[in-house]
Amino acid sequence: MNRKDYQFYISGAVKLGVSFGVVSLLARWITGNTILSAPETLVKYGITGAIGYSLMGALALVLFGFLAKKIRNNFHNEQTIGDVMRQKLTPSGYWYIMFILLVTSFYSLFIQAMGAGILIHIIFPIPVFIGMILFMGFCFFVGGVSGMQRIHQFSGVNVALIFGAVLLIPVYFYIQAGVHPVYDGIKLYHPYILYFKNMDAIWFIFTALLIFFGQIMMDRATWQRVFIIQKEKVTMTFSLAGGIWATIPLALSSLLMIIMFGRSYKNIYSLLFELVDKIQSTMLIILFVLFCFSAISSAINAELHATTTLFVKNVLELFRPLTNHERWKYSYIFSGIVCVCLLVIVSILTPNPLKLLFFFGNIYASIIIPMLYIILSSKPIPVVIPYSSLIGAAGGFLLIPFTNDLKAIWISFAISGVICLFVYILKKAPIKS
Amino acid sequence: MLSMDAFSLYIMFCVLAPLLGAFTLLFLFIFEKRIDLLEKQTREIALQRELQTALYNQLNQEIQPHFLFNTLNSILSLARLERKTELIRSIEALSRLLKFKYQTNSPFITINDELTYIKYYLEIQKIRFRDRLHYEIAMDPSVGQAVIIPFLIQTFVENAFKHSFEKYAGEAFLKIIVEKKEKYVHVTVWNSSSEKHEDQPHKGGLGLENIAKRLELLFSPEHTSIQLTSLNDKTNVLAVFPYVNKNENQGDKRL
Repeated sequence: MNRKDYQFYISGAVKLGVSFGVVSLLARWITGNTILSAPETLVKYGITGAIGYSLMGALALVLFGFLAKKIRNNFHNEQTIGDVMRQKLTPSGYWYIMFILLVTSFYSLFIQAMGAGILIHIIFPIPVFIGMILFMGFCFFVGGVSGMQRIHQFSGVNVALIFGAVLLIPVYFYIQAGVHPVYDGIKLYHPYILYFKNMDAIWFIFTALLIFFGQIMMDRATWQRVFIIQKEKVTMTFSLAGGIWATIPLALSSLLMIIMFGRSYKNIYSLLFELVDKIQSTMLIILFVLFCFSAISSAINAELHATTTLFVKNVLELFRPLTNHERWKYSYIFSGIVCVCLLVIVSILTPNPLKLLFFFGNIYASIIIPMLYIILSSKPIPVVIPYSSLIGAAGGFLLIPFTNDLKAIWISFAISGVICLFVYILKKAPIKS
Repeated sequence: MLSMDAFSLYIMFCVLAPLLGAFTLLFLFIFEKRIDLLEKQTREIALQRELQTALYNQLNQEIQPHFLFNTLNSILSLARLERKTELIRSIEALSRLLKFKYQTNSPFITINDELTYIKYYLEIQKIRFRDRLHYEIAMDPSVGQAVIIPFLIQTFVENAFKHSFEKYAGEAFLKIIVEKKEKYVHVTVWNSSSEKHEDQPHKGGLGLENIAKRLELLFSPEHTSIQLTSLNDKTNVLAVFPYVNKNENQGDKRL
């Protein structure tokens, strides 16, 4: 493939096998979110929540693997989620889904950038702005300018660093301190973590599955990878990526125990980054910092690249046909603007993590059934199907004051599901003449 | 509340789980290519074996002595009548037909190649059947470079001669249609047959079974199909398989 062709930017030169496919998916899904929401899960739902969180993440990837096979079989020449939506939906439905995709993309990018900002703020004695310029510059170069080939090259390094850190740091600490003092410290300061008979955690686990599945289903970068993994290996790749991914939040939970035992905490979200103060060895500090930056940068790179591709190929090109040169040019401009915006927002706002775990949960939960309908149906999609997610999400948000977050998410899921079921039954019913 | 022992087990599990993940990844990196190679070799061996069976069937069914003798007799008649141009063309066609038949050992060829071979075959049959035989080949130009298993159309065409034209007198109509429908190639071979023929429609037999098996080996089974329909005075065979351009898929182990 010609390196100057825009196809090269979108999908790289080669189809991925299982090993590179798994690495690429891990680089996408071990994110700032995984690092930042792990403490919240552990503190709110205890060990049951931590185990459930990893299992549900894995299960969501495995389930999407089966769907991915269906997607690959049904859509041959598509490259992005936008291509598929354009083929299946009416113009208004298409633009609605594109809007949702772009909003969730920007929010996801913002969360990652905020994570990087917090990390720089805690670790480095330099202004956040300067640190962020370097970090965003790197992400712009890899994710925005270089394209899929370079992202894959960095994915290998990122995943190696992530595994290096989650393997070495817990072993180092538990050998040094032993499990007993950690247990005693947790029992004294945070005994709630050790309670496993927790009904809330069960609710949380199943809701997490719903949100994870919705997130993966709407993820631009994951869809791109569905189309560049070898067709017969798609399901296997997603299943293995799910299994391997589950080990990371588990390892993070063991790291959090090290930080939390025998002390209280000020901010739940930046808890993991405080590990730096606990680590004595310089090599391990460097490894930990590289691990955090790897996880965040690999997610930003994948997300930035996918959003740029989506914007140029599935938004700009619909207004007027673009030449190859123009596609490259607009990709640079768009990704540059996104990076600058993120830089400015993160620099202006005080690095202060937001509520992560269930934010946008209603949107992700309500999109599941409409997306399944869109992907699996071989007939034209009725206009109401994409909008059922809007109704579901709105219904869930409106009910939040009367119920809790988890129930509101299930309500969103149920509303859109019922609408889709209703449409399906109506379409199936024989027409009386 | 979690006991000390259970907590220790939990921590042990958390520490060891990434090790398992890392080993799985390492295993994949080291052995994936070898596993692929083994799979590819197994599939190639199966394809070669099926091709051998196909060739054996072809030789058994097609280069039957009577086909050869009839063709040679027709060529002899042309020589006796001193119809030099037709004579040269028919010898040339026979030579090319035999050459193609004995030299083809690749698991797949292009539709253009397959149709060239069919044309030689039909040219010879035209000498034998003279004005009785009317044939037409319609091909969508976009599928010329698409991949097909060797002797697929040939088997259908030969079945038409074997089960219809050679058995029953009268006009013989044959139509070959190769077209692209969405992501699939549809190959249809239609032939006329006698009305007496209706009570004993010919079965798919070894030829079609072999083709179905080879198509499944080359493409995935859910994307291929072969349908044989015999109505009053016509027989129709339709083969459907995915469109794969030969130039774009040189390296793929399964198409």
